[in-house]
Amino acid sequence: MPLFETVFQEKPAIVMEIGSAYTKIGFCGEAHPRFILPTEIESIRDVLKKTEKNLYDQAVDFFNKIFFDYLLVSPKDRKVSFVESTITTPTLIRESFAKVLFHHFEVASILFLPLHLVSLSTLAIDTALVVDIGYKEAVILPVFNGVQILKAWQAQPLGGESIHDGIKASLILNGVKDEILSERVIEDIKVRTCFVTKQARAVAHRNNESIQPCPDVDYPVDGSDVIKIPGNLREFALEVLFPEDNDYLGLPYIIIDAIIKCPVDSRKELAENILLIGGTSSMMGIKSRLRDELRTLIKSEFYMDRLYIDDVKFHNAPSKPNFTGWLGGSIYSATDLISNSITRENYLKHPKIPDWIFYDGSSTRNQG
Amino acid sequence: MDFLISQNYVNYVCQCGLLKPLTNLYFCRHCLNLRCSFCCHHEVDSHFCRNCLENIPSSEAKLRKNKCNSCFDCPSCSFSVLSARATTIQVPMTVKEKQEGEESSTTTSEASSGKMVAKKMYYLACLACRYSSRDVGISDQASQNFCWPEQEYMHANRFNTILNYYQALVLHDKQVKQDEKRRKTTNKSKFQSMTDRTGLNVSAIRRQMGFDKTVSKPKNKPASILPSMTEEVEELSEDIFTKPINLKNITTIEQRFTQPANQPESVKHLYPQHKNLSIKRSIRCRHCEHNVIKPEYNPTSIKYRIQQFASSHVPEVRIIKCYPLMPNKSAFITLKLTNPTMNDMTITIMELPTDDEEVMMIDEMKKNFESLTVSSKSSLMRPSLIEDPRIVSCKPTAKLELPDSSFVINQRDDSAEFDDEIQTDKKDPKFVIWRKANKIAIELSITPNDLKVNDEVIVGFTMHYTYSTVPSTTAEKKDSQQRHALNARVYLNVGNIVDYSTK
Repeated sequence: MPLFETVFQEKPAIVMEIGSAYTKIGFCGEAHPRFILPTEIESIRDVLKKTEKNLYDQAVDFFNKIFFDYLLVSPKDRKVSFVESTITTPTLIRESFAKVLFHHFEVASILFLPLHLVSLSTLAIDTALVVDIGYKEAVILPVFNGVQILKAWQAQPLGGESIHDGIKASLILNGVKDEILSERVIEDIKVRTCFVTKQARAVAHRNNESIQPCPDVDYPVDGSDVIKIPGNLREFALEVLFPEDNDYLGLPYIIIDAIIKCPVDSRKELAENILLIGGTSSMMGIKSRLRDELRTLIKSEFYMDRLYIDDVKFHNAPSKPNFTGWLGGSIYSATDLISNSITRENYLKHPKIPDWIFYDGSSTRNQG
Repeated sequence: MDFLISQNYVNYVCQCGLLKPLTNLYFCRHCLNLRCSFCCHHEVDSHFCRNCLENIPSSEAKLRKNKCNSCFDCPSCSFSVLSARATTIQVPMTVKEKQEGEESSTTTSEASSGKMVAKKMYYLACLACRYSSRDVGISDQASQNFCWPEQEYMHANRFNTILNYYQALVLHDKQVKQDEKRRKTTNKSKFQSMTDRTGLNVSAIRRQMGFDKTVSKPKNKPASILPSMTEEVEELSEDIFTKPINLKNITTIEQRFTQPANQPESVKHLYPQHKNLSIKRSIRCRHCEHNVIKPEYNPTSIKYRIQQFASSHVPEVRIIKCYPLMPNKSAFITLKLTNPTMNDMTITIMELPTDDEEVMMIDEMKKNFESLTVSSKSSLMRPSLIEDPRIVSCKPTAKLELPDSSFVINQRDDSAEFDDEIQTDKKDPKFVIWRKANKIAIELSITPNDLKVNDEVIVGFTMHYTYSTVPSTTAEKKDSQQRHALNARVYLNVGNIVDYSTK
């Protein structure tokens, strides 16, 4: 095969990252996604309740919308790249998507890219601790010299969903009617009014010390109601990501856990190359708070003698955090690596998607 | 009327097993089967802007990133299109204008005040939410079109550097791998050479002798770029704890996502967004690869070049009247059948296939399709796939007493609409109530199963109808008007069980 065939191909590959809340779509080799739209496949949020057929039909509808209403391309004989969290994406979803795209839309090939690994290509480094805080969960995976350290993988249901639940519960306690608090309204309240407070204030709040609360906000809903959002809620709504209890499973703890599971030699480098991705990590103040929390933990008695790291440092990707993963996929798919994808012919012969535990090289091998 | 149209009381079974109203179905003239949007193949036909109705060739649309050059969406409400508003401002005359002005001032005496001249300037405004391009600091433009300043993406340069680096790196790796491969294969000679035994091969000897020109030099690694450096984390500003925020200045999440690149947090950065293009799509049957829908290219036209809607090929069934339904008691329903074609149709109403028969039908369909793809060589390269046909999810809850004979519906004749006379020349069976032009009304008896009050009563039947292929314009097919006997499965939702005990 000539070297330049795939690089300078006529049709750029379609890159998608289907998250549990938002889907990022665009073409490879572009600096940002074309569209960010809500994921409309209900089954993704609770996959176990739905059957595969239902998922298939929903995926057909959703991809129809993506191809013909947004990207405006015929999917036939296109290449498609999926950026996905390889470990946490249910197999049922991957297989259904592959089936939909190969059978219904007849795409030429699909490339599944591991989210945490490809995010690094946006920084041009090959070692980092990638912290993905999304809607459903926070997933942490260290990558050292381009290899994902699976042993150190950490995940907790700390993400947009738990924040939304917290905001909703506390607003209902304040006497706000349940029916006006739709998911959309709560998300809007979170995005526009809430922030992650400083560590000192959080500690004071936890110890019930009196602090000057930040100003309240009047939030109008639908032009008829006004919700009063107390300053305390604005400031401490995101504290669900930093729980202080005996489980020690807050965001800073699981980051440290991930580091401690890595070999000693790699820890310092990982701790000094932390990359935050995912929609929830675009919340105001979350980075500085995480840094403070991690620094405190490093100095704490429990970790002092076993961690062997001095400081934590963060990277800034050339993108918004919610599409950093997509951008990595865009870079990967623009290179020659896209020829490693699963082609339609091979899929029709072996309808199985290679996996961490099931890797069959024959399905990705090129013909000719 | 909405009550009659929006509810789907009469559903037809598409070839793929989905239930759809007749208006949502297509009819493939080549395989003589019903098709729906789910089991057909969709294709992008042409791009156009739905605001200015400009037809944009697909290569150009790709260049413009599927956006219209001249139309802008409102970034604030994203409901409406921004319209250019004109204002007049007083500007001092330019030199050229001045000269012209002076020439004219020789004729008119009162030109001394003409140092200032009125000039038309344009800005963009949204008529729905009062957003205007002045809000974000875009200065007014002298011309209406094509000169609005584009918003720059701040990471664009960095991204291009990274992208070029990785492309070069991957290419380099590949070349190195190929070189290694070549070297390995040349070494694998059938015969052991003496130089191998002595640990010297030709290239090594040449290198020793100083002739190393034939040895391919390792390709240069692409110059590595500056990797991202860890940066100081931005601190949360103290203001947030003391100063009240103004929600009107903070963008909503929808507003942010209309600009995926920058996702502005303040309304001061809501730039006008180029409008996305729309497409016309053509729909193709997966079995025979013929088009069922192909629109005209011209965006202002709503006509089709090819349109195979099922409603113009398949007899339409409508419910006129249904007597109150009670469990296990027979009731009459009156149906109206319309023949949309230009040929007479003979219709027989038969029972629905049983579950086993349905499975057999599906198997047969699959087999047919496989033999079709194997026989045709063109599709061997890329076998087109069909959607797996499914078993109809709907089960009838009433028994239909089948009429004992078949009947004929006359052809559609547009002029017959104006005739009052009712044709009575044909001997109609008893169940035919009336007929007029291409319509016929029949009365059937149904018996609902043992259902509870307010349960839906669904009856189904297979409609066996004769269909004559319309002779196409090509001369060779002119005489070959063929008659086919086709089946359509119809499910009717005739209403709910009424509660008679309370009355």
